[in-house]
Amino acid sequence: MKETVRALLGLDDDTAVMVRRLTCTEPGCPPVETVVAVLPMDGEPRRWTLHRPVEQITEDDLRAALLNPEHQSHQEPELTTPASPQPHDGRVPVTVLTGFLGSGKTTLLNRILTENHGMRMAVIENEFGEVGIDDALVLDSEEEIFEMNNGCICCTVRGDLIRILGALMRRRRKFDHILIETTGLADPAPVAQTFFMDDEIASQLRLDAIVTLVDAAHVMQHLDEEKPEGVENEAVEQIAFADRVVLNKTDLADESTLTEVEARIRSINAPVQILRARHADIDLRQVLDVGAFDLQRVLADDPSFLTETEHQHDTTVTSVGIELEGELDETRLNTWLGSLLRTKGVDIFRSKGILALAGEPKQYVFQGVHMLLDGTLGREWREGEPRGNKLVFIGRDLDRDALVSGFSGCLAVAGAAA
Amino acid sequence: MSLTVDAGLSMAWDVTVDDAPVALSARGDLVAVAGAEGTVKVLDAATGAGIGALDLPGGALNTALAPHARHLTVTGPTGYALWRRSDGHVTVRESGAWSATAVWAHDARVAVACGRRALVLDPDGEELWRTGAAASTVTDLAWLRQGRRLAVAAYGAVRGHERHAEEPVATYPYIGSHLALAVAPTGKWICSGNQDASIHIWRIRDGSELTMSGYQEKVSRLAFDDTGFWLAADGAPDVTVWDFSGKGPAGTAPRSLRRHETITALAWRPGPAGHLASGGHDGTIALWYATAGQPQSLLRPARELDGDGLAVAALAWAGPHLLIAAWRDGRVRAYGVPSRTVL
Repeated sequence: MKETVRALLGLDDDTAVMVRRLTCTEPGCPPVETVVAVLPMDGEPRRWTLHRPVEQITEDDLRAALLNPEHQSHQEPELTTPASPQPHDGRVPVTVLTGFLGSGKTTLLNRILTENHGMRMAVIENEFGEVGIDDALVLDSEEEIFEMNNGCICCTVRGDLIRILGALMRRRRKFDHILIETTGLADPAPVAQTFFMDDEIASQLRLDAIVTLVDAAHVMQHLDEEKPEGVENEAVEQIAFADRVVLNKTDLADESTLTEVEARIRSINAPVQILRARHADIDLRQVLDVGAFDLQRVLADDPSFLTETEHQHDTTVTSVGIELEGELDETRLNTWLGSLLRTKGVDIFRSKGILALAGEPKQYVFQGVHMLLDGTLGREWREGEPRGNKLVFIGRDLDRDALVSGFSGCLAVAGAAA
Repeated sequence: MSLTVDAGLSMAWDVTVDDAPVALSARGDLVAVAGAEGTVKVLDAATGAGIGALDLPGGALNTALAPHARHLTVTGPTGYALWRRSDGHVTVRESGAWSATAVWAHDARVAVACGRRALVLDPDGEELWRTGAAASTVTDLAWLRQGRRLAVAAYGAVRGHERHAEEPVATYPYIGSHLALAVAPTGKWICSGNQDASIHIWRIRDGSELTMSGYQEKVSRLAFDDTGFWLAADGAPDVTVWDFSGKGPAGTAPRSLRRHETITALAWRPGPAGHLASGGHDGTIALWYATAGQPQSLLRPARELDGDGLAVAALAWAGPHLLIAAWRDGRVRAYGVPSRTVL
């Protein structure tokens, strides 16, 4: 498919072509799409969305879509994103800031807005007037969660964000970065899903990272709080969804508490990066434009994420990391992953993986939010690099043994006459 | 001045505004252009000459001239404003609430979305009545029954409100976010375009329902023509045109109008001829005999104006003979369409 794209557009070798597929494993859920992105070394990136699975896309479909001088993002050529760790695709990065009341979100927000980073920012806040600054546009929002008639939770989005971001993007001057502050009680899933489910948003904005602030001295009591049956513990969810946890107010807790808190955070979300801070005084480069939702960077942050965590606490939300040598059979993998997310997707908050598919010279990378899966081929396996698979699930009531045995069953050699 | 575009279609005027246009309204002898930053220019429809201007702090989302063009509303993310033609007086209400749109019932009454409610105002902004709060921010409004009933679209339902009652007098429920609302001029149908990539339809008489799903994207633009027999919608690369004559579109297939990849504007030409203008993300404008052929036909434009890559922001007809188009870069142009029957 990439070769067809190259041939149709007459691209040179320096231009990267990326094909991503977005699927929902829920039966009857409409969003299945394939996104083709063309990222030249010089010049503007281009992006097309085809509303069908990648297997069903013909050369004629590609020709019709790609050769129509249309549906390409119009961005100012150079975004001021210092130390940008990955080639951006022209879409404006969005950081989602979550955390309980008192965790220091406002302090961090103020720091981001006042620090001289040269970026033109827009901030969407849950309470108006908390932060105000001349250079940045600050907008108010009240959480509006929109569920859909089909009942699929992957289609649950944040209506307030869709309309506010939509209006922002119609302005003449583009923003370099958008920051969304959620309330301490917000469920991060609809926020994340908004960036995949709404085409208008997805074509112009990319979710960069979910950053969760926690108050070092008080987070344990929030995490331990017993909730009535069927009610989520939002503090646990916010940590489970996070790409970065800022462990704030470390000056108000002793080292043993900090160690304990870190271990607890890791027991929920093993691969997350934890940043210690006193007055939210972190290096902003560690939270802004980090590309945590960038498939090329999945799992690249912390190769040690697979270390088995000790379960000191009886937490129901945990991480299961699996490392498996060998190559996978794509059909078997799709069947297993599809059925897993279909049946357990409500409980699997996030999933990430770098996989070796049999016969494929490139890594297959994916990440998911609940039942929604976003996947693409990544870099080539290097010469001599052992072809293996890394996978992590973060969620509720995960059965490690069942996950390991299910995943092992996807190996190309399993039950096959090799 | 008359610049020839191609045979039969001439440019009547061409102006540029210093903002990114988001909405157009054309009524009587005026055209209003609202920009994303909240600037509104009121232009003479025949010449494009500026005759008024106002600013809405916090930006603009939509604008609406009253039927006889003596008043104007502009609505935006943090409030709304009204403009009076006679003396240029402007009333700004910075409510802090999201005002998606405003619709005039007639010259003396306008409904303005304001957060989760709709306010019904006189032309100078005095509140006459208001609706109770909807389940979410109001997304669209439409008048029914000659301006006696107001249909309010928000999450989970379209609700019908009348004066003197906070609670709706009629509720049309459907789980999902209703982004756009269209009421047939025949008074027979209420249609909502939805975030879940569908059009939901209620027959007003008995509340019976129909969902047209299978769209590729959310449906955020819906428009009935003057006869009320035809509904045009976005939500896919092709504009879909549904036949609402007789028993309605149940069991039928729409006509598909193929020119755009992403539709950014739709406007029916006034009159019964079924002429439609559409605009695309690539800046192209297409004119259609949108009701020609058979159901399920794939139609091609009768005429098109090529864009230069910048999206069409809005289209509006200033009467049957003048099509107004605004592009994201601030260009606003009027094209003469002389024949009533030919595009």
